[in-house]
Amino acid sequence: MYRVAVSGINAVDNPGPGVGIAKGLKESGLEVSIFGLAYDAMEPGIYMKWLIDKSFIMPYPSEGEEPFIERLLYVKTTYGLDAVIPALDAELPLFIKGASLLESYGIKTFLPTEEQFKLRGKDRLPEIAERIDVKVPETRIVTSYEELSKAVEEIGFPIMIKGIFYKAYKAFNIAQATSYFSSIVAEWGYPIIVQQVVTGEEMNVVGIGDGEGSHFGLVGIKKLWITSLGKIWTGVTVRNERLLSATERFVSEFKWRGAFEFECIVNDRDIYLIEVNPRFPAWVYFATGVGVNLPGRLLKAALGIEPERNWDYEAGKLYIRFTDDFVTDMSEFQKVVTRGEG
Amino acid sequence: MGKLERLAINDEGFIFDPETGNSYTVNKTGFFIIKLLKEGKNEKDIVKALTEEFEIGEDEAKRDLVDFLEQLRLYGLVEAQNV
Repeated sequence: MYRVAVSGINAVDNPGPGVGIAKGLKESGLEVSIFGLAYDAMEPGIYMKWLIDKSFIMPYPSEGEEPFIERLLYVKTTYGLDAVIPALDAELPLFIKGASLLESYGIKTFLPTEEQFKLRGKDRLPEIAERIDVKVPETRIVTSYEELSKAVEEIGFPIMIKGIFYKAYKAFNIAQATSYFSSIVAEWGYPIIVQQVVTGEEMNVVGIGDGEGSHFGLVGIKKLWITSLGKIWTGVTVRNERLLSATERFVSEFKWRGAFEFECIVNDRDIYLIEVNPRFPAWVYFATGVGVNLPGRLLKAALGIEPERNWDYEAGKLYIRFTDDFVTDMSEFQKVVTRGEG
Repeated sequence: MGKLERLAINDEGFIFDPETGNSYTVNKTGFFIIKLLKEGKNEKDIVKALTEEFEIGEDEAKRDLVDFLEQLRLYGLVEAQNV
């Protein structure tokens, strides 16, 4: 029995990847007990006992490395813990920095390097694109209204106004551009990314790099229906060989290690790289459902078991997300609130 | 492989493009034309087949075919050199 901790169990309207990872692990053929790492007693995953056997409230990553690692060591010494699969951007730096310390306590991970993690910044995209021979939408990094007007003048409307890690809006005139600029700055700070709008199909690839230039499987999808937050609600698998080759070039050029999501816009001529996420996306169960159990393979890689590498999935498989509900006892909530675990 | 060859088409006229993830439906006539295109038939053969299958004149068949091909091109389902 392997005891594995998974974070991102906030299965809400902006879902974390944790529940999808847990589903994959349960279907992986490995005997696993899953521990959920939560940041709030209301995270639904805590109560989904059929998937997540036990949950722990974690200190926020912003409180620093020490309390965070200590909490993981508490789980290790009290209940046993063989591996962790972190799934949230905000906690990844702590895990990456603490990986060898955790390893020395017998807690395994399979994460990108610090340098690879930094590539997620949207300001690093042009560099990635150049090295793997894809395009990026024309982009300017701006930190003032003057720079914003200049960028807008050079690129033209419509135009994307984006935060460095979160939020993206399409603006059709300078008033909209300025207003989106201000609201992103107020919420997330500088810099702001101003970007050309490119046409084509928005497609994503999820995969795991082996750290040596190859991978443990890729699955390409297209979102068919998204929520107002831009989250996938239905999707379809695609086999776009140009996109899959570009993803393989990315993995081999950067010797990517660990989970990733590669987001692109693809048209007849070009592939535009939009974003690279250094973790599984929330829809990762889609890969498991089409026969490429990436969470299971990541766990094997972390544990030092050679994972499968086949990824011959079928195009035209549908992904359906839906809402569900259930009833449980108040005592479950009480336990989590008073003891920090449940 | 040409664009048409990669399309998955079922008997009810549902078309799925595995490269883009887009899907389409065609009516009986459209389905008839697409099947012939996939078999590699040229414009002249298709017009002839249309006149026989649907009992229409050559001019009408030609017009409908050109119209339909233009639609396919618009959706990126055929390359210009396909037909």
